[in-house]
Parts: sequence; C-alpha cells; structure tokens
Amino acid sequence: MQTLDIISVNIWQIVISLCNLVIIFLIIKHFLYKPVKKMMDKRKEDIDKELAEAEGVMQDAIAEKQIWKEKLDGAKAEAKGIIDDAVLKAKDRSDAIVADANEKANSIRRQAETDIALERRKSEEQVKKEIVDVSTLLTEKVLGREINPEDHKSLIDSVIEDIGKE
Amino acid sequence: MEKKRSLKFILGDIFCLALIILPIAFGIVLKVLFTPASNGIEVTGARIYFTIHMPIQDLPITEAQVNSWIVILALLGLCLFLTHGIKKIPDSKRQLAAEWLVEKASGIVGSNMGEYFVGFTPFIMAIMGLSAFSSLLTLVGLFPPTSDINIIAGWAILVFILITYYKLKAGPLHYLKSFAEPFAAFTPMNIISEVATPVSMSFRHYGNVLSGSVISVLIATGLQGLSHMIIGKLTSFPLLQIGIPAVLSLYFDIFSGCLQAFIFAMLTMLYISGGFPMEEYFAKKEKKRKKKEQKV
Repeated sequence: MQTLDIISVNIWQIVISLCNLVIIFLIIKHFLYKPVKKMMDKRKEDIDKELAEAEGVMQDAIAEKQIWKEKLDGAKAEAKGIIDDAVLKAKDRSDAIVADANEKANSIRRQAETDIALERRKSEEQVKKEIVDVSTLLTEKVLGREINPEDHKSLIDSVIEDIGKE
Repeated sequence: MEKKRSLKFILGDIFCLALIILPIAFGIVLKVLFTPASNGIEVTGARIYFTIHMPIQDLPITEAQVNSWIVILALLGLCLFLTHGIKKIPDSKRQLAAEWLVEKASGIVGSNMGEYFVGFTPFIMAIMGLSAFSSLLTLVGLFPPTSDINIIAGWAILVFILITYYKLKAGPLHYLKSFAEPFAAFTPMNIISEVATPVSMSFRHYGNVLSGSVISVLIATGLQGLSHMIIGKLTSFPLLQIGIPAVLSLYFDIFSGCLQAFIFAMLTMLYISGGFPMEEYFAKKEKKRKKKEQKV
C-alpha cells in the first residue's frame, strides 16, 4: 500500500479541503447556528414583550389603583355625610317625636287630672248630696217634723265644710 | 429529563448518534483493512486508498481526505443531535449545550472582530470544530487530517481569500495603496508578508500536529528499545511503553490539537478584521449614498 510523502502538495486535495471547510461552514450555519439563534432570539423577543406587557399592566394597575383610591375616598366622605345627615335628621325626628310624645303625655295627664278633679268634685257633690239627704232624713226622723230645707242645707253645709277641713 | 419521548424522537436521536459513530467506525475498519502488518517504525504521510486521474495532477484519495469527510459527517450528526427537539423554553441538556456553544462563539467573535463581523460566528465555529475534531481523530487511532499539509492549506487559502475580499471592500485602489505603507520602500516586504499569511498559518497548524505524532512515534519506539535493553533479557514485553505514551498523547493529541484549532481560528479572526479598512469602507459607502441622493 502506497503512502504520500510527508510533505506533498496536491492542488486537488487543497481544493477539496477548501470545499470541505465551506461545507462544514454551511452545515454548522444551517443545522446549529441558525436554529439555536432563532430560538434564542424568539425567546428574548418573547421575554421583552412580556416584560413590556407587564410594565404596561403595572402602570395601568397603578393608575387604576389611584382612581379607585380617589373614588373610595370620595365614597367614604359621601358616606360620612350621609350618615351625619341621617343622624341629624334622626335626632331631629326623635326630638320631635319625643316632644310630641311629651306633649301628648302632658295633655293626657292634664286631661286625666281635670277628669279626676271633675270626678272628684262630682263625687264630692254626690257624697255631699247624699249626706244631706241622709242627714235630712235622719233629722226628720229624729225631730219628727219638717225642717226648713233651706236652713237645714246651710247648716249641713257648714258642718261638712268643717268635716272637710278637719 | 425523565420524560416520555415519542418513538419518532428516539428514532431521530438514534439516527443522529449513528451519524456520529458510524463514520468513525467506518474509518477504523478501513484503516484496519488497509494497513499492512509491519514492525518497524515509519513516519509517512497519509495512506493512499486509490487514485483518480485528473488534469494537472492526479488526485489520490488518501486517509486524510476520507477522515476529513468522516469528521464532516460526524459534525453534521452532532449538530443535528444538539438541535434535535429544540424548543423556545429549553428543557434538555443538549439544547443548553448548543446555546452555550453558540453564545460562547458569538462572544469570542464579537470581542475579537467587533460587532460588524458577528455574522462570522458560524464560520469560526466551523474552523474550530473541523480543526479540533480532525486532530482529535488520533484518539481513536485514525490518521489526523490536520497533519496533512493539503488540508490545512485549503483552509488557509479560503481564509486568505476572505482577508483579501475584505481588504478590497474599500476599493482596489485603496488595497494597492496599502502595500506602500508606511512608505514605498516597504512594498516588497508588505507583499511578502501578505503571501506569508496563509503559508505561516497552514505550516504552523500542520507542523504542530505532525510533529506531535512524529514525537509520539519516536518516543514509543524509543521506550520499546529502552525496555528491551533494560529488562529484555527476562522478557520481550515492552514494559516501559505502558502509561508513558498515554501522558504524552494527552498533550500532543488533546491539548495541542485543541490549542492549534483555537490559534487557527484566532488568527483567522484577527487577520480578517485587522485587514478590513472599516473607516474607509464606511466613508466610501457614505459618499456613494450621497451621490445617489444628488442624482435623485
């Protein structure tokens, strides 16, 4: 079996070797470099996009938060106003009601008092009349004669007055 | 990655791995079949399998040729394997490895050649891969194509073409003028140094790898003789040949091979980006653009 000399230049071998390097360049470019680069670029793009999106969402969220905070503050103030109003109104109302009730109660009591006074006077009158009648009857029986009712009445009245005083 | 992969995916993997392993196995078989038995040491070039008659010069198909095709096929298999099942979100170690390689290579090219030349990344990767794996073929006992001057010369000439192409980008006049820098008397020296670029590149790489294998053969043979001298009376077993050549092989085959690949790629980058007259090129481009605008 033949071998080459240790240094032997062959133009065709050089050309073939040159082509080999070009071929391996194309192989590496198409089967390793490009797909890997494509994936990496795609990933980077995606990450950038997502980061930008997240940034946008964050900004939106912050703006929204501000808006809601303002709204909430407004709502709180409004609620407070409503409550204050309501409390005030209720107080007025309750005052009115209480005053009304007091009035009513007072009038009722007054009515009752007058009623009582009236009743009492009536009953007094009744009692007086009855006493007069009874005493008249008794006196008639005791004395056996008719006495002048006019005199009699004044007499009894004075007696009853005395009794009432005691 | 304990995940269920589809049968198709596994078959693809097997195909890629076969593409890596089978060519190497084929090379070993070819070598075993064609290498005649011999005891003596010999330092020769690549073995010739057959010769094709061509104009100018016959083309012998040698071990170096066949082995560089083996490397190309194996690298194709490796590329396919690494990018097989590539996803946007990596879930396999091989994709991480592929991305690490691409990123590292882009980083090296970007820092050595500048941003303008980042497109050179796959070319630099190709040079490094082809050169390193060609040298590493010695690990499986095959003839390293990088110890054949023709192989390296082909690469160096391609690099020289690229260098000249980029030098010519600022116009042929500028190219010719650059030979008379810093003044006219330097012209012959500049021409010599221009021609010397590919020659020195190819001889450096080829000489390193070849001398490595020559030294390995010499030391192995020397150790054989030494062990024969010292303990030859007891046994003819070459005891000293155990271990010592392996350590040397570590240096000459692995370290030197990878280092030369790296140096070759480095020089390629530096020569191409160093020879490119960037300022003049952009000035010329700007002028052209302005001219066009005026015409419009």
